[in-house]
Amino acid sequence: MKTSFKKIATDGVITNNPTLKLVLGTCPTLALTTLAMNGIYMGLAVTFVLICSNVIISLLRKLIPNQVRIPAFVLIIATFVTIVRLVLDKLLPDLYEALGLYLPLIVVNCIILARAESFASKNGVIYSACDGLFMGIGFTLALTLMGAFRELLGSGAIFGTKLWDFSIGFFASSAGAFFTYGLFIALFAFFSSLISKHNKKKANAKSVNSCIKEAE
Amino acid sequence: MANNNLLTFSSSPHVKSPKTTRQIMIHVCIALLPALIMGVIYFGLNALLLTVVSVLSAVLSEGVYLLATGKSVREIINQFDFTSCVTGLLIALSIGVQCPVYIPALASVFAIIVVKMIFGGTGKNLVNPAVTGRVFAFMSFTSIMASGWIAPSINALFSGGSYDPVSGATVLTQMLSSNALPSLSNWDLLLGTGVAGCIGETCKVALIVGGIYLAVMGIINILYPAIYIATAGLFAVVLNNFQFTYFLPSILSGGLMLGAIFMATDYTTTPNTTLGNVIYFIVLGLVTTGLRIATGIEVVSFAILLMNLFVPLIDKFVINTPFGFVKPKNRGCK
Repeated sequence: MKTSFKKIATDGVITNNPTLKLVLGTCPTLALTTLAMNGIYMGLAVTFVLICSNVIISLLRKLIPNQVRIPAFVLIIATFVTIVRLVLDKLLPDLYEALGLYLPLIVVNCIILARAESFASKNGVIYSACDGLFMGIGFTLALTLMGAFRELLGSGAIFGTKLWDFSIGFFASSAGAFFTYGLFIALFAFFSSLISKHNKKKANAKSVNSCIKEAE
Repeated sequence: MANNNLLTFSSSPHVKSPKTTRQIMIHVCIALLPALIMGVIYFGLNALLLTVVSVLSAVLSEGVYLLATGKSVREIINQFDFTSCVTGLLIALSIGVQCPVYIPALASVFAIIVVKMIFGGTGKNLVNPAVTGRVFAFMSFTSIMASGWIAPSINALFSGGSYDPVSGATVLTQMLSSNALPSLSNWDLLLGTGVAGCIGETCKVALIVGGIYLAVMGIINILYPAIYIATAGLFAVVLNNFQFTYFLPSILSGGLMLGAIFMATDYTTTPNTTLGNVIYFIVLGLVTTGLRIATGIEVVSFAILLMNLFVPLIDKFVINTPFGFVKPKNRGCK
């Protein structure tokens, strides 16, 4: 398998976007996207854990026996989640309160385990760190966009700044979370199909052009 | 196009009927007119304004969605079947007159675009659009929709549109919170005089007239709403220690009549079989009264929405025996 940094980057942010394409880590996505700021913080926490656990798992990939790899991965992930929790509790207690239960739940976040299983345990350290970074960015972007959408409609504000008094309470409720998630997945699928169609057309045109040139 | 006409595919049941969707929906619109007229008489021209806004935004959002999916204007007009009119009307009739116009407009847009069109249009929706639109509005603007009820008066039509919120709660919420019979008589509840509530649900006589019209025209089976209303009333009696005086107030207050006659009987969101329908409406009645007493607010729309989701399940388990069906012998293996 040929891995390149460019492919890892587009995979993490677009083609395999963990939230909108793989539909992993739905629990924090649904619960924490009431505010755009929550999305950013959660995304950053997950990104940190992803990078660190990917690096360690990639380093240990030849030492961990195949039969016990899942418990070993979870142990490594839990270590970093504990670090994040302790640091946040000490430095940013307000944020620690806001993220609440969803911070320890990062341990069982499917994205991290999925990347450990499908990428970090098969690839080198630098590639794995890169993969963690871009998967984290994809997750953070999706959560922040959803958070901004719900914050704008549900409480008439964006990133905590009040814009107007009008608000549609539905989008702040949990039903609105599911609705927003579905909407974003649909829009994402729509735009990615548009892009892939466009790329195919381009590739077709290129191959036709090269054929014509060869014929000439 | 010619090929399309030759090869028409449709799922069962393959029943031929002279009734088209458009005719049925026009009949439903006519049946809702008495309730609308009584609403305008009781609550003034503001009620009419809300209704017009709601219907217009429902029809327009359907048109815009069809335009966006590449239909031509002529096709849209030819296909227009008044379903969105019914949805808009029902949403307007199930909100209070104290609401600003953007509430029915947003509820109608949500009902048509999200609940109906995205699932494939008329007849393909999973839940009733009007009910879901109302629930959407209720969840979004709870503080406006659940308080400041205006008690109707005949003079409202002529007073030029200035109203005072007479009572903070509807008869039903008073009854549920104080756990006592309402101060108004059953006649008042039936006619809607002095009863605070939504535009269309106040005058029960108008709703019953509409229901009888639909039953006579063969649009709905009057048995099903009757089962729903009777179950809801009887369950209220049971939950109030068998005091039969609770029967009439609980079926005559709130949106039960409107929901039972016009919302719960939607073709798409009711089971296919008679037995399935009976089960559906009995459980609906139990759920409505149970939730009413448990939450202390009017929950007819929530109950219908909840039960709509069980319709596919009921259809899966309640199946008509096909004609000439012989039960296969169990041979002890699969």
